[in-house]
This record gives sequence, C-alpha cells and structure tokens, in this order.
Amino acid sequence: MNFRQFAYRNVTRNKRTYVAYFLSSMFTVMVFFSFLLFAFHPTFETINSSVRTGLLTSGGIIYVFSFFYILYSMSTFLQSRKREFGLLMMLGASNTQIKAMVFIENLLIGTFSTMFGISLGLLFAKTILLVAENVLIIDERLHFYVPFEAIIITLISFLALFVIISLFVAFVLRTSRLVALIKSDQTPKKEPKASIFLSVLAGLLLAIGYGIALTVKGVAVVMALIPVVVIVMIGTYFFFTQLSVFIVRFLKRRDYIFYKRTNIILFSDLSFRLKDNARTFFMVAMISTVAFSAIGTLFGLHSYLTDGVIEINPYSISYKMDSDDQPEIMAEEVNYIHSQLKSMGVEATSETIDVAFVDMNEGYIVPVLKESDYNKAAKLIGEPIIDVGEGETIINDQTVAMISDGPKASETLMTFLIDLEGDHTLTPAKVIQTNVFSSMNGSYVINDADYVKLPKTSMNRTSKQVYWMTEELSRDEIVELGEALEEIPPYRVSMIDYTVFQIERGYGPALFVGLFIGLIFFVSAGSFLYFRVFTDVDKEKEKFTMVTKLGLKETELKKIITQQLAILFFSPIIVALIHGGVALTALSHFFDYNLINESALVLGGFTVIQLLYFVLARHFYIKQVKRIL
Amino acid sequence: MLKVNKVSKVYEGKVSYRALSDIDLTVEKGEFVAIMGPSGSGKTTLLNLISTNDTPTTGKIMLNDQQPHTLSKNQLATFRRTELGFVFQDFNLLHTLTVEENMVLPLTLEGIKVKVMKEKARQIAEKLGIDSIMSKRVYEISGGQAQRVAIARAMIHQPSLLLADEPTGNLDSKASKDVMHLLTKLNKEEKTSLLMVTHDAQAASYSDRVIFIRDGQLESEIHRGDNRQTFFQKIIDMLSLMGGETSELSSIRLS
Repeated sequence: MNFRQFAYRNVTRNKRTYVAYFLSSMFTVMVFFSFLLFAFHPTFETINSSVRTGLLTSGGIIYVFSFFYILYSMSTFLQSRKREFGLLMMLGASNTQIKAMVFIENLLIGTFSTMFGISLGLLFAKTILLVAENVLIIDERLHFYVPFEAIIITLISFLALFVIISLFVAFVLRTSRLVALIKSDQTPKKEPKASIFLSVLAGLLLAIGYGIALTVKGVAVVMALIPVVVIVMIGTYFFFTQLSVFIVRFLKRRDYIFYKRTNIILFSDLSFRLKDNARTFFMVAMISTVAFSAIGTLFGLHSYLTDGVIEINPYSISYKMDSDDQPEIMAEEVNYIHSQLKSMGVEATSETIDVAFVDMNEGYIVPVLKESDYNKAAKLIGEPIIDVGEGETIINDQTVAMISDGPKASETLMTFLIDLEGDHTLTPAKVIQTNVFSSMNGSYVINDADYVKLPKTSMNRTSKQVYWMTEELSRDEIVELGEALEEIPPYRVSMIDYTVFQIERGYGPALFVGLFIGLIFFVSAGSFLYFRVFTDVDKEKEKFTMVTKLGLKETELKKIITQQLAILFFSPIIVALIHGGVALTALSHFFDYNLINESALVLGGFTVIQLLYFVLARHFYIKQVKRIL
Repeated sequence: MLKVNKVSKVYEGKVSYRALSDIDLTVEKGEFVAIMGPSGSGKTTLLNLISTNDTPTTGKIMLNDQQPHTLSKNQLATFRRTELGFVFQDFNLLHTLTVEENMVLPLTLEGIKVKVMKEKARQIAEKLGIDSIMSKRVYEISGGQAQRVAIARAMIHQPSLLLADEPTGNLDSKASKDVMHLLTKLNKEEKTSLLMVTHDAQAASYSDRVIFIRDGQLESEIHRGDNRQTFFQKIIDMLSLMGGETSELSSIRLS
C-alpha cells in the first residue's frame, strides 16, 4: 500500500465521513452547471444579448459563492477529522504528508462531485429549461441541447476550484500540538458565558434597527438603508453569540425548568452548541435575509408594476381619440379593432363614451363624463351604476394605484363648482372611487341634461373613448391580437393583457435569475446548518449511549433530538424571517404599495422549504443515533 | 432477587461464536457478588445480559420476579431507571453537566420534584463525601471523585440491583480502595444487591462471593470468610489455578 493508495482507500472505504462533503460539493456543481446550461442556450444567442450578459454575471456570483461555500464545507469536514490526523501524525506522518493526503482526497472528491454534478444537471436539464421557458416568457421553445460549452466551463472551473481550495488546507490544519489534535474531541470546554452588557446591546440594536426600518417612509427608506443594515447586522451577531447563550443560561438557572425531565439533557448542551455555532447561525441568518429580501423585492416590484397597470386599465382594450377633428381615422381604427376581434373569433362587447376635459382653474384640467356614458362603461366591467341628479356632480376619485403623497384628488375637486351656460353651477354631491374612468386628477360625473350645457369656452378638449371587454384570452391569442393592434399608434390604443405580457417578458429574466440565486443562497444556508448539525453527531451518539444506559425511552430520545434540531435549524431562520419581514415592510413604505401578499408568499415559501429540510435532517439524525441503541 | 437460569449467548455470524453457555447464577437481596475471569471469558457479555443491554439466546433472567427481556423498549427504559444502577469503568458522566446535575439525572428523567431531587442528592453526596464539589463541572474533578459521582448517580434512585463494570479499572490504588469501601458500605447500609465485574483481585476481595468464568462457563465460586486478606489470597490462588500467571491477570496491589 503506497501513500496514494492509502489516501484513496481512506475515502472509498470511509464513505459515511465523506458523503456530506461530497454531496454539498456535488450540489454546488449541479447548480452552477444548470445555470450555465441555459445561459449558453442557443436561443439566447438570437434574442438579446443583455439577457445572456445578465445570466453570465449571475453565474460569476454563483461561482464566487460556491468557492466560499466549498471552502467552508471543507474546513468543517477537516475540523471533524482532527483526531484522525493526530493519530496519523503520532504514527509518524509528516505535516506535508497529511497535506498531501488531504490534497489527494480533495482531488478525488472534487473530480467525482464535478462529474456527478454535471450528470445530475444534465438529467434535470429538460425540467430546468421547461421552468425557465415559463418564467422567462420566451417565444421560442427552449429545446434540449447538448451543452458542450456549459460542460467544459463547469468542468474546468470546478476542477480549478478544488485544486485552489486544496491549497487552503494548510490554513485549516495549522494546529500546534499533537496532543491538541488527538484530544480535540475530548477536551471538555468551559461553560460559555455571556456578557450581560452585550446581550442587552444585542436586543437594543435590533430594536433600534427595526424601529427605524418600520417608521421611515418614502425616500427616507433609502437614506436609512445602510445604517439600519449595519445596526441590525451587529445586533444579529451579538444576538447569536451573546443573547442566545444568555437566554439559555437564564433558563438553566430556573430549577423548575432545567430539572424537568429531558430538559436537563437538552439545555445542558444547548448553550455549548449555540456558542459553537454562533458564527454559522449569524452567517445563515444574514444570507437568508439577503435571499428573502432580494426575492421579495423582485417579486414585489413585479406585482407593483403589473397590478398598477391592471388597475388603471380595467378594460380589455381601450381606444381613445383625444380630439373630434379626425372622425374618419377613428372610425377606421375602431373598425379595424372590431374586425380583428371578429376574425380571431373573440367575443367582445364594446361601448363608446364621450369625455369632456374641463379647465377648472387655470390649467387644472378635470375630465367630465355624462351619467349615461359612465353607467354604460360601469356595466361593462361590472361596477355599480350611479344616479346623478340635475344640478349635482359626483366625484370619481383617483384609483388606489394613482394615489401619491399629498391631498386626494377628491378633496381638491370638492372645492370646485362647475359652471354651466347661463349662470347655472353644479355642486359636488358625493365622492365615489371606481375604476370606471381613471385619471390623475379624478373625474366628475354629471347628469346628461347638464352635460350638453357645458360651456365651450371652459372646455379644454373633448374626447371619444371606446372600451372593449373580451372573453378570457389564451397567451397565443393575446400575442396575436396585441401585435395586430400595434398597427394603431400606441397612444390611442391599449390592450392590457398584452401590456402585462410585455412587462413580464421584459421582467422575466430578472425575476428568474433573482429567484434562482435567492434559492441557491437559501438552500446552501440550509446545508451549512445540516453540516454543522451532523459534524456533532458522533459526540451526540456517545452522549445518548450513556444516557440510554441509565434508561431513556425512545420517545424521549426523539423528543430531545427534535427539540434540539428544531432550535438549531429554526433559530437562524426565524431571525432571518423577521429581518426579511421588516425589510419588506420598509420596502412597501418606500413604494407606498402594499406588499403583504408578496411578503407572505415569499417568506411562507421559504419556511416550507426549511421545514422540509428540518424533517429530512431529523429523520436521518434519529436514524443515525438509533443505530447505536 | 436476581435469577439467571440456563442462560446462553451465541453471536451469529459467518462463524457462530458461543460467548456464554448455560450460566446459572443467583444473587440474593443485599448480596455483593464479584465476577472474575480472563479476557474473553464472557464476563462483560453476562453483565450486558443482566443489564438488559443485550438479550440472551436461550435461558431466562429474572429480576424481582420480572423478566426484563420480555418488556417493550419503553418499559425497559423505565425498568432501567428504576430498578438498575450502573457504574462504569470510564465513569460515563456527561461533560456538559455539573456534579449535582449528573447525580440527579435518573430522577429528572423520571420526573421527580426538584425539591425531593435536591434533598436526595444532598443526602447521598454527604454519604459519599462529595458534597463539597456539587457545583463543579465533571472535568474539574479527579478520577476517584468522578467514580464516586457515578456511584451516587447509580444509587440515587435506590435501585434493587447495582451493576458495576470494572469500577476501579481507571483509578489509582488509593482511589480504588476508597471506591470499594464506599460500595461495600452502601451495599450493607442500603441493602442494595451489587454485581461487579472486575479484573482486580483487590477489588473482588471486598465482595461476599466471587464467581469465576472461563470460556463462557462457570468455573467455580469462592465465598468470603471472616478475613478479607485470606479471601484475597484465595482469589489470587484461584486465578493462577485457572491458568496463566497471576501478574497477567491483574496488577496486584497489596494493602
């Protein structure tokens, strides 16, 4: 057996120790490869190059992240093997030999995980492309292809990465004394202490950070961003290193809690494990927060854009001619829309209304509709019809999407009286808020008899508008109709479904890439935890063997493990969820737009993933520990 | 109290190995029995069977008219923490707990009131002379102290049978003597039956009766007379009779 064989056998015959490291490396490779797989898809060559640039940049970010992730995985992995190295050194292995061994191991694991990662990526390639197709809204189908470029780039980048990381071994293994290595897993540690000052500081910093984030509004959000992030980050760090330990110690000192059945075993370890894992928790919490906020922002921005457009355009298609002087063009274009709808076999109802734009006060122009026109349009979209008496006006306020800072439009409109021909005036009777007619300044609805008496002098212009409501259209129909309508100048016609489609097509890549990277961050954060938890499994086994001999029921064992894992798995995620929730609330203050649904969806989704992770980890953990019983 | 009836243990495998065959053994209430024998004789297997860590291939083990091997896993756990006490060679204390916390662990698992627990811990600690180190962590105390803590833990719930696996194996001669004195004292005062596996003739000489096992079978047994010194000599003679040199069997300490 020469040295290379020894290193080789060490890996192949000791799979359990290596499997976690191998799997996380493989997973990283797979993610990177899947990303390249569609970044290099031939379809993107023909569409626009900005998409590809974006994808490749993101690929670079993923690569850098992978580097640190694998480095971290490796160092945890090596830490757990200190004793083995100590034994080898005692048998006379030199430092260089041990480094050589780890180097060979790393190359072996690196090569295999790269190959397996690529293979798995290829296996899932079609699924990934299908998902991408739907999210990205690409006209062409993303067919399956053999991604030579992606394979080669992944292969080279990761083999290089593993070689470079292997060189870092020297740093990880800079241990002083042999004894320390051999006894590394036996030396008992002093019970971690928490400073009261820093614990209070942690709570205070978090409270201040949250307080600022939740109270600032509008543009101030941007100004507060960096200080809040710094405050919260420091707060989070001390939360995990100090406050959490402090809380556990506080609970431990309460005899009626600590001495209650299995609590004694749970809590006795908790302060140690919390302190040991504090940095990991901090990192996981921060990474997850970034993932939550990034995805939440992208997602929120998406609904902010589309919802706003949908709200001010309740009609399937609307056409407006802003002046009466070109009736032929209008007739021609409206006929064109009708005929397009007819030729496509799309059922549609339409209404034509008149709108008078009245100059109320030196350039403050407000649209005025007559009651019958308003009601025709209202019926079209299923809004209630209204009744306006002679001499009265009803104010239709701005729609929610248009509300900005400052007084509402209705408040201004209430102050005006509309002059009619011959000394009559109309007084505002009440305010409604519907989507029937959208205008920044709000609008008036008046009685038909009054409408004809509007003086020509105060009228800025009149306009005719035609609204269509169509049946539900398929995506292909939307595109076909939308493209047909591009014949008409866009300021006269708008088709809401097509507009939304265009927004989504433009926005799709950003959303997709954002989701992808966010998910990677989050999943790798989960793996960090998984890793940490499983490096301690041997020590745990020892402990449980001991306690089982004294008499520990299986249910009690499961209970302890479940509680312990739950605390380890969820404490950073709950912190991240709260951080993320606060961040998204601040964001919604910035946009002045309600993001509750989006936030709940994003945060809820992540919670579900984490729950799955927890269930899996718990299952394997209990299986491992039970094996010794 | 404890009845071991025609117990055999066979380890199945490519080559089946008979670790114990037809062992009969009875321990009366309040009796102190030591089991001796060369390495590989089956001492530890026997102890594992009695401690319910392992199940016999054939035969029956009865403890207080209960047959622990027929109990379910959960019942077994309860059985262990009420009926049995364990003392191990390597103490098996939890590093993350203090001395007192280690001691009350069986009571805590049972859900006893804190006040009762603390009182019991105080009493037994006084008896064992460890009341001054109650709040120390396990790594701060010496081996002899650690073993006394382990004994306290094993005795705190007043088990009917205390099982000791090489309790002096990791201790120096002074500490060994102290621990054995304590064990005999507890045995006499609390009327707890005590079954001890040991290599150490000195430790065995504290018992009422020594049983010798070789190759999985009962070899012989000798009872203690009035004098511990002569008992010790008899044990040494027996060991050398069983084969090998005496020095190989134990590091003999003469007191």
